[in-house]
Amino acid sequence: MTKAGGAPVQEPADGVSRIASAGLTCPVPAGEADRVLLGHGSGGKLSAALLRERFLPRFGNDVLEELGDAAVVNVPGDEIAVSTDSFVVSPLEFPGGNIGHLAVHGTVNDLAMMGAEPLYLTAGFILEEGLPLALLDRVLDAMKESAREAGVIVVTGDTKVVERGKADGMFINTTGIGQLDPDFRPGPTRARDGDAVIVSGPIGRHGVAIMAAREDLRFEVEVRSDTACLVPLVQALSAACGPAIRSLRDPTRGGVASALNEIAASSGVGIRLEEGSLPVPGPVRAACEMLGLDPLYVANEGILVAIVAQEEAMSALQALHSHPIGASAVRIGTVTAERPGLVLLRTGLGPSRVVDMLPGDQLPRIC
Amino acid sequence: MKYLSEYRDPVLARSLVDRILGTATRPRVLMEVCGGQTHTIVRQGLQELLKDAVDMIHGPGCPVCVTPLEQIDRALHLASRPEVIFTSFGDMLRVPGSDADLLQIRARGGEVRVVYSPLDALEIARAHPDREVVFFAVGFETTAPANAMSVWRARELGVTNFSVLVSHVTVPPAIRAILDAPDNRVEAFLAAGHVCTVMGWREYEPLADEYAVPIVVTGFEPVDILEGIYMAVRQLEEGRAEVENQYARSVRRSGNEPAQELVARVFQLVDRAWRGIGEIPSSGLGLREEFSQFDAEKKFDLGSIRTSEPEECMAGDVLRGRIKPFECPEFGAACTPERPLGAPMVSSEGACAAYYNYARFQPEEAGEPA
Amino acid sequence: MCLGIPGKLTEMYGSEGLQMGMVDFGGVRREVCLAYVADEVKTGDYVIVHVGFAISKVDEEEARRTFKLLEEISELDELEWMKEVAEKSLSGLESDRDPSRDASGTSDIPRPEGQS
Repeated sequence: MTKAGGAPVQEPADGVSRIASAGLTCPVPAGEADRVLLGHGSGGKLSAALLRERFLPRFGNDVLEELGDAAVVNVPGDEIAVSTDSFVVSPLEFPGGNIGHLAVHGTVNDLAMMGAEPLYLTAGFILEEGLPLALLDRVLDAMKESAREAGVIVVTGDTKVVERGKADGMFINTTGIGQLDPDFRPGPTRARDGDAVIVSGPIGRHGVAIMAAREDLRFEVEVRSDTACLVPLVQALSAACGPAIRSLRDPTRGGVASALNEIAASSGVGIRLEEGSLPVPGPVRAACEMLGLDPLYVANEGILVAIVAQEEAMSALQALHSHPIGASAVRIGTVTAERPGLVLLRTGLGPSRVVDMLPGDQLPRIC
Repeated sequence: MKYLSEYRDPVLARSLVDRILGTATRPRVLMEVCGGQTHTIVRQGLQELLKDAVDMIHGPGCPVCVTPLEQIDRALHLASRPEVIFTSFGDMLRVPGSDADLLQIRARGGEVRVVYSPLDALEIARAHPDREVVFFAVGFETTAPANAMSVWRARELGVTNFSVLVSHVTVPPAIRAILDAPDNRVEAFLAAGHVCTVMGWREYEPLADEYAVPIVVTGFEPVDILEGIYMAVRQLEEGRAEVENQYARSVRRSGNEPAQELVARVFQLVDRAWRGIGEIPSSGLGLREEFSQFDAEKKFDLGSIRTSEPEECMAGDVLRGRIKPFECPEFGAACTPERPLGAPMVSSEGACAAYYNYARFQPEEAGEPA
Repeated sequence: MCLGIPGKLTEMYGSEGLQMGMVDFGGVRREVCLAYVADEVKTGDYVIVHVGFAISKVDEEEARRTFKLLEEISELDELEWMKEVAEKSLSGLESDRDPSRDASGTSDIPRPEGQS
């Protein structure tokens, strides 16, 4: 149904039955009961039904069920962490998950990278007219499950519907609120000369899984998105090493390279990576070869990059190894005071090369 | 990955470097004419390992970089047409035309799609009979068989809404042009391994004889390139000037004959302009008359194209190996991958982009990355 | 000349009169047109693939032969290097230049720890 897969968009059947009722301006076509309609976003009966039948049963909690114009929540402390992200992935479903997983994990993980405990989420949906409700259900199920796992509740939300062709199926925005820990405040400016650069798992899986799911490139690969909640890893790191954790970053769009460039720039340090240490799974490497991509720039959704004081590096690795999604955590490099802002990769042959920020999306290199 | 990873073995690579350093009695100047080889050389820091024994000059081996500005502008024009689905290899999307690039055209509403194979473009045409699908057929001889097949199949299958915008160039005339230049310093060439997989190496023998230059058909991985360089340096030291084949696991002297046959049936040799270099006679491929219904230049009224190229861009000198990218005053200043002045800074196999992305060691004062 | 990747041919079939196959590139699979190598390949062979077309069959015998030559060259050197590497790690220097180093040549890249 979506344009993303390149399939032609279906037009609804003609002979639409119209319900004549004062105040109802939107026709309700018979036989369209299985798809999102413009009416679902108009605030009337269809909207209410959608909320009642699909959203509330999954996210139901006292705050949400108040259905006030705004949610009232309690967050201890003078400062709170707030993060927002919009999710526009195409296709909506891919090996390893769907947009719903990303929408929860992405925002929860951003809070966790600040050392915050995620508490509440908002969820705003822009749905495309014609989106199959069964797909919406699968996305909402994913969000419900991911929220439960992360220990957050969805306290408020919104749903709009736009015309066919205007939303690639659906867009989701989630905003998260978290409670900060005064004793655990990793941040991008804290990296120092000599710190260890650690990555919690294999790199490049999400981006490759998405690209494989896109029809136009037409390759098959047994790579699943790594989308995951990183809160347990962060908790383990905090418990094991606390203040020795200088920075945490989840390397999503732009990959590990972009995350490290940002830290290097913010902290005014250089970063040196060892090519041989990078944990790139075989199929990810093969897919990158084929498309001429560099795994360092491919998106991830279930790993973190940690900058850790040198003396606690082993302890941090052990903490990560104790959790299933951190089992293959590895040190990939070191922070240095030399050439601040520059990320260098030492190749297997000896010389180093620059690992820069990319201007835009990596395009498959062909020739 | 088999037949790939072994050729990245650091031990073998270092061994070859030592052999090269030990064999060259004076600094040798070599040229590779293949964007893929340029990419490996810069990305793996091979020049650094070779120190002063070998100076690798990067030749015009990036078909994206040498595609004339007029052709890019034609592509942009086609992509802007509402009835057209414009398909292309990924590299072409950010190459600057006179006023925009394909990515910007897409942002303005044009339908531009990246495909991995020309056959995928043909499939898009079959799936969308109500639209005109144009494929940007760019490449050296390596890609010609694939592009030829897409046109051949279109005719076989009776597809009428498919056409190609051709920008094919061939390597031997470029090597000849380099050798003919009065200030040429190149003593030996690495020939592109996949071009020769298709074409074989027969066409290079007259060049080796006439100009007395060693030519070594070489692969793309670090061990391949170092071995190719070693073979070339040995020839120079021994006073030989022959065509040798380093990439024997893929290349035979006669090349791939079925591929050559189909290319010859669909395409013919034409004169072609190389962006930054100028016109080189009989250096390009164009569709034969009988396939003109698949020629986008004939099918669509492309009008007259007035091109405008930034004067400061020194792509021509870079492509001819006259200067290294960092010797251009605009390198890293007015010209970066975000705001490229010319194609070699955009294409991932362009020499300027390779240097910028991998080897941009600027003095602290000259500007660190943003 | 560019982006030709070797992969293993796992299936061969016809598709609307065109010889096609499935090729496995170390874990990634893609359909590939075999029209230009059809007479010389069978499943299990390795091919070089460029933009969805097999342009050659990998000559495994040739590959083995030349690779052996390379390995022999490097074996002779290896003993020398092992001595060299041992000496250098004792003195704290490394033989390759790293542009990120300062003029004194001291290495600032420690061996990574915690390798699995």
